Amino acid sequence: MATQDEDTLTGPVPDPETEPTAAELAHARRFAELVDKTLSGRTPPAMSADDRALLEVATVIRATRGNLELAPGAQHAAVEDALRQAIGTGPQGAAPVTSILEARARLRRRAPWIVAATSTLAAVAAIAALWLRTPGGAAHGPPVAHRAELPLEWTSRSADALIGPIARDHAGDAGARLDAIFADRLDGFRGFHEFRARRLTRGGKP
Amino acid sequence: MASEPATTVELELEQEQRLVEEAQQGNLDAMRPILERYAAPLYGTVILPRLGDAASAEEVLRDTLATAVEKIRRFTWQGKSIYPWLRQIAINKVYDVHRQSKRSRRLADAMVHEVAVETDPASHADAQLIADQERRAHRDRIDETLQQLQERYRSAIELRLVQELSREDCARRLGVTIGTFDVLLFRAVRAFRKHFGERAELPRTGDT
Repeated sequence: MATQDEDTLTGPVPDPETEPTAAELAHARRFAELVDKTLSGRTPPAMSADDRALLEVATVIRATRGNLELAPGAQHAAVEDALRQAIGTGPQGAAPVTSILEARARLRRRAPWIVAATSTLAAVAAIAALWLRTPGGAAHGPPVAHRAELPLEWTSRSADALIGPIARDHAGDAGARLDAIFADRLDGFRGFHEFRARRLTRGGKP
Repeated sequence: MASEPATTVELELEQEQRLVEEAQQGNLDAMRPILERYAAPLYGTVILPRLGDAASAEEVLRDTLATAVEKIRRFTWQGKSIYPWLRQIAINKVYDVHRQSKRSRRLADAMVHEVAVETDPASHADAQLIADQERRAHRDRIDETLQQLQERYRSAIELRLVQELSREDCARRLGVTIGTFDVLLFRAVRAFRKHFGERAELPRTGDT
């Protein structure tokens, strides 16, 4: 076949009146069918190198006469693929490049707000962590077991048990009641300090 | 017509410059109107006439546009359309295809050589001028080659490939059978290819 290809492409071309051989007739028909397919926009199947070379001639002639223009679909695909390839995403069939670019643009526009929001959240979390670690903060959630170990007079407690119901005719004795509460709290305070002093004397922790 | 970009879409030079600058600043989507505007002229007047194969031409067009987007930052605006820059990328891609191809591409090689010699995009600011000149150059080459063919061969090409009549109509016009017309067209294309290739081998001084 190489010889035949060579003849087709570079051999002498007979005059129009020369009788064709059977081989030339067959080749001419095959080429005519390829031209048919090309003209109707169908991609011809695999073909020999010489047929391809001749078909290229036909295509060049047609293109030069303006008979071959880029189909709108092919143009759209080429532009989309080029943009997609340039921004480093997958091939055609993936998300439209417009949406990718728009998403990137949106991200760029929102980036300052995202950074600000993230920073604010981080700051709030840090403040909350600091607050929870302070003694005041710890008072909100001390372990119940520790409180149970303390003597009653050292704990924060209601004065109801100490004063009891107030009779109507003693309602004016608020000073006496305050004195009683103060004495009770003072007693607890002293007991607590004596306890700490004893622990320090024994070498324990305050 | 694919080769009339400036008349089909009103994309002024200033707008083109603004889009290029936007793209150079990172907004690659700004390249879209430029690519859409010049894809058809690049395909129809630069790539396809040099390759002769529609599928390959579409691939080269795709590569050309992708390279343009990737390298847009390297483009320097000089008060002229971006089209000559795109055209040069396309021609380089076509050369790459020819280099990679092991097949004989005498005709396409000839087109690459001759038209590249005749057109000087740098001397024109307008994309339409460049595309029109290039189209005329291609057409002149084809016409000159057709003139060298025998009358019946020229008619066969004219009827079938230019007017795109059916084989039956072509045969009727020439007063022959369809089988004979097939042979005429086959020989006509062979003859065309041979003459065109020989023209390309002439000294370059004769091509200017």
